[in-house]
Amino acid sequence: MIRYIIQRVLAALVTIWITTIAVTLLIHAVPGDPVRIMYAKFQSTPEQIEAVRIALGLDQPIYIQYGLYVSRLFQGDLGRSIVGDQPVLDILLTRFPPTLLLATTSLVIAVVIGLSLGFLAAYKRGTVIDVGAMVLAVLGVSIPHFWLGLLLLFFFALQLGWLPVAGSDLRSLILPALTLGLANAAVLARLTRSAMIDIFDQDFVRTARAKGLPKTMVLYRHALRAGLVPIVSMMGLQFAYMMGGAIVVENVFAWNGVGRLAIEAVFARDYPLIQGFILFFATVIVLVSLVIDLLYAVLDPRIRYS
Amino acid sequence: MASIAPTTIAENVHGELAGFWLRLVKSPTGLIGLLIVLTLIATALFAVWIAPFDPLQMGAGPRLQPPSAQYWFGTDDFGRDLFSRVVYGARLTLQIGVIAVGISLTSGLLLGLVAGYAGGWTERVLMRLVDVLFSFTEIVIALACLAILGIGLTNAMIAIGIASIPFYARVTHSVVLVEKGKPYFEAGIAAGAGHVRMIFLHLLPNVVPTLIVVGTLGISTAVLAAAGLSFLGLGAQPPEPEWGFMLSSSRDLISRAPWMMIFPGSAIAITVLGFNLLGDGIREVLDPRQVMR
Amino acid sequence: MGRPPTFITTPILALTAGLVAGSSQAADLVWARYGDIDSLDPHRATSTLSMQVWDQIYETLLAFDGEGKPQPHIAKSWVVSDDGLDYTFELQEGVLCHDSTPFDANDVKFTVDRAFDESNPSLTKTSWGPISAVEVVDDLTVKFTFESKFGPFLPFLADSFSSMVCDSNDPETFGSSTGIGAGPFKLVEWVKGDTVSLAKNPDYTNYGRPFDNKGPVNVDGLIVKTVPEAQTRLAGLTTGEIHIAEPPFDDIPAIKESGELEIMVAENTGQNVFWEFAISRPPFDDIRARQAVAYATDPELAIDIIYGGLSQREWCPIARGVFGNDQEFCAQYGYPYDPEKAKALLAELGYSTDNPLETTMFVWTGGNRHKLAEIFQNQLSQVGIKVAIEIMDIGTMNARVKEQNETTDETPGTFDMMTWSWYDPDILYALWHSPGAYSGYNTPELDVMLEETRTTIDPEARLEKVQAVIKHLMENAVHVGLYTPGWEWVFAVRPEVSGLKIGAFLHPMFNDVTIKE
Repeated sequence: MIRYIIQRVLAALVTIWITTIAVTLLIHAVPGDPVRIMYAKFQSTPEQIEAVRIALGLDQPIYIQYGLYVSRLFQGDLGRSIVGDQPVLDILLTRFPPTLLLATTSLVIAVVIGLSLGFLAAYKRGTVIDVGAMVLAVLGVSIPHFWLGLLLLFFFALQLGWLPVAGSDLRSLILPALTLGLANAAVLARLTRSAMIDIFDQDFVRTARAKGLPKTMVLYRHALRAGLVPIVSMMGLQFAYMMGGAIVVENVFAWNGVGRLAIEAVFARDYPLIQGFILFFATVIVLVSLVIDLLYAVLDPRIRYS
Repeated sequence: MASIAPTTIAENVHGELAGFWLRLVKSPTGLIGLLIVLTLIATALFAVWIAPFDPLQMGAGPRLQPPSAQYWFGTDDFGRDLFSRVVYGARLTLQIGVIAVGISLTSGLLLGLVAGYAGGWTERVLMRLVDVLFSFTEIVIALACLAILGIGLTNAMIAIGIASIPFYARVTHSVVLVEKGKPYFEAGIAAGAGHVRMIFLHLLPNVVPTLIVVGTLGISTAVLAAAGLSFLGLGAQPPEPEWGFMLSSSRDLISRAPWMMIFPGSAIAITVLGFNLLGDGIREVLDPRQVMR
Repeated sequence: MGRPPTFITTPILALTAGLVAGSSQAADLVWARYGDIDSLDPHRATSTLSMQVWDQIYETLLAFDGEGKPQPHIAKSWVVSDDGLDYTFELQEGVLCHDSTPFDANDVKFTVDRAFDESNPSLTKTSWGPISAVEVVDDLTVKFTFESKFGPFLPFLADSFSSMVCDSNDPETFGSSTGIGAGPFKLVEWVKGDTVSLAKNPDYTNYGRPFDNKGPVNVDGLIVKTVPEAQTRLAGLTTGEIHIAEPPFDDIPAIKESGELEIMVAENTGQNVFWEFAISRPPFDDIRARQAVAYATDPELAIDIIYGGLSQREWCPIARGVFGNDQEFCAQYGYPYDPEKAKALLAELGYSTDNPLETTMFVWTGGNRHKLAEIFQNQLSQVGIKVAIEIMDIGTMNARVKEQNETTDETPGTFDMMTWSWYDPDILYALWHSPGAYSGYNTPELDVMLEETRTTIDPEARLEKVQAVIKHLMENAVHVGLYTPGWEWVFAVRPEVSGLKIGAFLHPMFNDVTIKE
C-alpha cells in the first residue's frame, strides 16, 4: 500500500511538472508576436513592448524561460494579468473557490441521484423501472448542460420565480449545481447500473444469498461496498468533468467563478492569465484525483494488502 | 458468423456486413439511433429543399413570432425563420462532428498504436503525456487552442479535435495492450513479421470495432462541445445558423420568445441522442460485454 | 452520528462567507454596468466605462453645469492673459486628497507633467492643448503657459480626462490597484472584471458641481459591478441587489408600463457612433469602397429595431448639443441608404454579390451592439460586401483599430463602428489631426483646417472652420455619422433610490442620491 501511495504521489508530481512545461510553451504556439497581441490594448511604443518582452523573459532561450517561470512559481508569482494588471495568483485565488464550490456541490448531487438511480435500475433489472431509469439517463447524457441550464432558468427563475436568476449566494448556487449535477447524474446512473449488474452476477453475492442472508443485508454490505470500488475510481474523472462543465454553466448563471474568467481571458488573449488558469486547473484536478485514488486504495482490499 | 464456408473474402465480408446491419436494426437502441442519424444526414443534404426560407434573410417574417403555420418554429428577433435556420444548422453540425472526430480519431489512433506497440520508454513517455493532457480536461485544451488560434467555428472544430486526442489515444492503447497478450500476436512476432505488417495487418483490424463505437459516441461529444463553445461565443460567429450560437442569441429573450431556445436546443439534444444510441447499438452488436466509458 | 466535525463545517462556512464577504453593506449604492474599467489611471484609458468611475474618485479644476458649460470648482477663479497664452488659476483652500494630504498646485503640476511625460504620455495628451509649461506659483496658485491659443482649454478642465491625480500616489500600484484623488468617493478595492468598491469621502466639499448637496455624499459607499448580461442586470434590479443599471433594451417598454423601475434617459450625451475605415491599404484606401459601406447600411432601420425610439440618426461627425452640430448642413454631404448606389460603386471596383468584397467589422461590447452589427452585416451582404464581425471590449478595439491603420501587410483593411463622446468639436482635432488618435486618415490640408478650429476664438468664425472640417470628413467618407446616443445612456433605477443625476456628456453622479429604507 505504501508503494501504491508513493507511486501515485510521484505520478501526480510528474503530471504537474509536465503541466508547467506545457504552459510555458503555450505562449510560443501563438502565431505572430504574442507580446504585441497581449499589449495591443495599451497602445505601447515599440520600446515599451521590448521592455515587456525582456521582463517576461521571452527573449531568452526556452530552457531559461522555463527556469524563470518555475522560480517565479515558487515565489508565488504567476505573472500579471494584461487587463487591469493584477497578479494572476490573486485573481485565481479569488475566483477559484466559487467554481470549486459549484463543482463539488454538483458532484454531490450527481452522486446522490446517479448512484440511487443506477442502483435501482440494477436491482430492478429488466423491469419497467430499469428501462425507465435508463431512458432518463440516456436523455440526460444527450442534453447539452447549458440548454438544461437555460430550461431550468426559464422555469424556476423566470416563470415561477422560485429561485434567483444570478448571484453569488447559496440560493443562486442551486440552479447551476442542479444543472451540472443532473447532467452528470445520468452518466453516473449508467455506470452504476453496469457496475452493480456485474456485482450481482458475481459468485460472492450468490454465495451470500445461498447462505441465507436476507436480501437487504446482502445488498448493502457486500454488493454496495464492492460496487463502490469501481465507482470511486471514476470519481476523479467525474470531478474533472464537473470542473470542465462548470466553465460553461457559470456563464449561463453568471456565477462568478473561474470559468467566466477563463472565457474572458481567451477573448482578451490574456496569456499570463490563461497560463495561470491552466496550471491551477490542472493542479486542482490532479490533487483531487490523487486524494480520491488514495481513498480508493483504502477501499479496495486488493491494493490495501499488496 | 457464416457457418457454411464462403468462397471468397469479398463474400465473407459481405455476409458479415449484412449480418451486422441486421442485428443493429433489430435492437431498439440501434434502430432509433440509426433513424435519427439518417434523418440528420438527410436534413443536411437536402437542406436547400427542406427549408422554406433563406436562413440568413432578415425580415422573412415579422420579428419574434411564435410558431405558426407559416413559420413552423417561429421567427427570431431579426425576423428570420427559425425552422430554416435549424435545418441549415444540421449541415454545420454534421461538419463539426465529422471533422472534429476525424482529427482526434486519426491522431489518437496513431498515438495509441505507436505507444502500445513500441512499449518500453516510448510507451511510458507517450502515455504519461496523454495522462497530463487528460487532466487538463477537454474544454481547457479547447480553450487553450482557441487562445492560440483565435476564435471561430473552424478553429473550434480543430480545437475540439485536438482536445479529444488523449481520449482516443487511451482507448486505442488499452485495446492494443489486450491484443498484445493474445497468441496470434506473439506468433506473428516469433515468425519475424515486420512492424508495419504487425501494426496494420494485425493490430489495426482488431482495434477498428472499438474505434467505430467510440468514434460514433465521439461525434455526439464533439457536437456538444462545439455547441458549448459557440454558446460561449468562441465558436460559430454571426450569421451562421449553428445551434449552440442560436441558443446564446436566445438568452436575453427567453421570456419573450422561448421558442428561440427550445428548438435549437432540442435539435442538439436529439442529434446527440441519435449518435449515442447508434453508438450503443453498434457496441451491443460488436461486443455485447464491453464497458467503455 | 451527531454534528459534523468542525474541520468540515469551518471550511464550508469560510468558503461561503468568502463568497458573501465581497458584498456590500446596507447603505451602499450598487451600480451595475456591462463592462469594467480599463484602468484607475486617467492617462491610460479612454473608455466611458473608465471615465465614469474616475468621476467619483478624482476631481477636476472646473465642473460642467447643467447645460454643459464649464464653471469654477476646485479652481475658484482664473485669469487669462491678453495674448491668450497664460492661464493662472486660484485653487480652493483646504481641499484634501483621500490620504489626508492636501490637494494643491503641486498635485496639478504633477498631473499635467505626468500627462505630458515623454516616455509615457497620456492617451489623451492632445486634448490638453499645446501646453509648454505648468508652474506652481504658490500652494494655491498654478499657471499654465501655452505655445499657441487653445479655445477648448477651459471646457477640457471640466472633463474627466483632465482628472487631477494626487502626487502622493504610489507609481508602482497607481492605476492597477490604487488611485488617490480628491473626489466624493475613495477607492477601497478593484477586483478586476468584477467590482470597483468605493467608500464615501467624509472630507468632501462640493464647490462647483451642479448638485444640491454641498458636502460629502449621503450613501456610505458605491459598488460598481460588472454584469455583462442584460437579463442578469434586470434580475438584480428586480430583487433589489442592484440599484442602478442599464436594462435589456427589449424589456424597456414593459418596464415603463409596469412602473416598477424608473427609466432615466440621458440627454446631451455628446456621443456619436460612426463608421471609420483602415485607410492604409485596400480596400478602404479607395473612397468608393468607403462610400459603398455608407450607402449600403441603413442606420435608421437598425436603431429602430434595436433601440426603439431611444436613439436617433445622427448625420454629423459630432453629436447633437455640441457646437457645430447641424443636421441639415451635414445631411447635404451624408450618405442616405441606397443599396443600388453601393452596388454601382462596388462594381467599379470589381465586386458584386457573386464576388463579394471580404472584410471585417469591429464592434465593441454591450448595448445590444452585436445585434446592430448583425443587421449591418446582413445589409452589407445584400450589396456584395461579406463582413465578419469581431466584437471586443472598447479598450481592445481602440488598440486594434490603431494597429489596423499602422499595418501595411496584405490582409484586407478593416472598418469599425467607432464611438466617441466629447463636449466640443475639438474631438475632430484629436481624431484626425496627424498623427491621429488611431494613426488613421490625415492630410496636410485637413491638418491646417483643424488647427484653425483650435485657434479661432470668435464663435461665428469658428463655426465656419468647424463646418469646413465636417464637410471634408464627410465627403471623403472618413468619419460617417450613424446615430446618437450610443451607449449606456438608459438607466433603470430602483424606486427607493432618488437623486440620481446624469450630468451632461453622460456623467452619472451620485452626490444627491439617497436610498430610502
